[in-house]
Amino acid sequence: MGKISAPRNNREFVEACVKSGDAVRIKQEVDWDNEAGAIVRRVCELGEAAPFMENIKDYPGFSYFGAPLSTYRRMAIALGMDPASTLPQIGAEYLKRTNSEPIAPVVIDKRDAPCKENILLGDDVDLCKLPVPLVHDGDGGRYVGTWHGVITKHPVRGDVNWGMYRQMMWDGRTMSGAVFPFSDLGKTLTDYYLPRGEGCPFATAIGLSPLAAMAACAPSPIPEPELCGMLSGEAVRLVKCETNDLEVPADAEIIIEGMILPDYKVEEGPFGEYTGYRTSPRDFRVTFRVDAITYRNNATMTISNMGVPQDEGQLLRSFSLGLELEKLLKSQGIPVTGVYMHPRSTHHMMIVGVKPTYAGIAMQIAQLAFGSKLGPWFHMVMVVDDQTDIFNWDEVYHAFCTRCNPERGIHVFKNTTGTALYPHATPHDRKYSIGSQVLFDCLWPVDWDKTNDVPTIVSFKNVYPKDIQEKVLNSWADYGFRGAKK
Amino acid sequence: MANKWEVFVMDLAELAEGKELELTIRTLNDGLHKYTYQRAKVEVSSKLDQFADSLQVRLGRGQLSDRKFSIRVIERVERLPAQYR
Ligand SMILES: Cc1cc2nc3c(=O)[nH]c(=O)nc-3n(C[C@H](O)[C@H](O)[C@H](O)COP(=O)(O)O)c2cc1C
Ligand SMILES: [Mn+2]
Repeated sequence: MGKISAPRNNREFVEACVKSGDAVRIKQEVDWDNEAGAIVRRVCELGEAAPFMENIKDYPGFSYFGAPLSTYRRMAIALGMDPASTLPQIGAEYLKRTNSEPIAPVVIDKRDAPCKENILLGDDVDLCKLPVPLVHDGDGGRYVGTWHGVITKHPVRGDVNWGMYRQMMWDGRTMSGAVFPFSDLGKTLTDYYLPRGEGCPFATAIGLSPLAAMAACAPSPIPEPELCGMLSGEAVRLVKCETNDLEVPADAEIIIEGMILPDYKVEEGPFGEYTGYRTSPRDFRVTFRVDAITYRNNATMTISNMGVPQDEGQLLRSFSLGLELEKLLKSQGIPVTGVYMHPRSTHHMMIVGVKPTYAGIAMQIAQLAFGSKLGPWFHMVMVVDDQTDIFNWDEVYHAFCTRCNPERGIHVFKNTTGTALYPHATPHDRKYSIGSQVLFDCLWPVDWDKTNDVPTIVSFKNVYPKDIQEKVLNSWADYGFRGAKK
Repeated sequence: MANKWEVFVMDLAELAEGKELELTIRTLNDGLHKYTYQRAKVEVSSKLDQFADSLQVRLGRGQLSDRKFSIRVIERVERLPAQYR
């Protein structure tokens, strides 16, 4: 593999984005109370350059970087690729890197760790000293964690988990967050800490390198520190926490250390979510008690503003959920030609292209997809054949509307795993993470006669002889056409 | 100086008048601590001049209610178990 030169921390990433025109420096004062959130939201809706806000009201010295990965260009920059790379190119690079050898992190000395430049302990600990933004008006609180990693360790197995689980500031020492029961942290809590009534040490890292953030929200079975190493082609630098035994990314901008309490919960939400709605109810959720805050000089807080498409949650999660499913299906020997989620589906629909070589292949795909670790995050699988371009929604939609038989092509899976965030779920199902899912099988049945029963696609490309196609293409301008007006 | 508070309710009936209530309220006073919460024993009134502090209300999904109240914060309630304080 050639040497990867991806930005190693958030600062290098901001620089690279500014240089390529994919970020703007905002020098005028921006209010943490709604204004910064409104800027990031509009950036997402317009597909604009990412805002680097250098002057935040009430918080001299701090800055914000909003919408870090809400375009494919910024995703390419994060991976150290040409910003103009296409989505299939970026996807191929992700697959190549995440199929390579794991790269273990290294632990460095505290003196070399930028995240230790400022250390708040004891009575000095107050989350309000950080420019925690009110991201959307009407949210249940100011959100500390919108683009970050929550770091924990399984006390018996020893594996480290970095997960992006939203965290709301309840008061200066307390955060509350939506850690779903099927997430890696959720399982560690229910498997170990809650039954024993023990506190679970955690550290929240904000202003991660873009690939560390990508690892924290990727649904990969590989532990995130190694995954981050694979994505960036070099070992992640970690440093030990001040108040517990966890290790955190030394180059992160801000670290919050503390304990998840087993027997105390405070209210969290509502919050503007990746589906484009505020859906999940305010509830008593996993509660984090803060013991220490450390941060770089002139620390930058990263902000994702989730809402209608498209934000980095939609873009990146569609990307990694699709590619992780592709890996899973290929590991089972299924002849898939590709997997794609449109970010605009808010990662709710998997589109799978497959060579339909045997009966029930769409059902096999759906069962694997819904039955996997990825399954709770989407509720629709659409399977099309290898002649359909999965990246071209017009083609996929045409296949769906013409080939999916209402009686035989639609299969509903009941009593599966869901989340509190699904807008279409009943209030009861949201509360208990109960889901339902559906397969749209858009393949021609294998028992239809290929010659007489399977319809022929009527398109310029498919029905005319090659020589006629060439003649028409070459004569197009001569016929008097000037290019269709859209 | 009068304080500004906000509360989230699913139903306005949660804000019964003429008796002591225990609510999770957040401060809307300007400054670094804006939007932080506390649990408190309070009394609320739809008469805006009944108490010095004001209370605004948000509903289940963050919608601002047009009902306004005045509020008296009687005392803070600490729910955090003693061993963590
Ligand atoms: C911006 C953003 C916010 C997220 N918030 C949550 C959340 O609050 N709770 C949750 O369980 N997952 C959340 N996710 C999804 C997880 O990050 C994702 O499932 C990740 O793979 C979790 O890692 P795990 O497999 O280690 O649990 C969020 C993702 C993004 C991009
Ligand atoms: Mn994980």
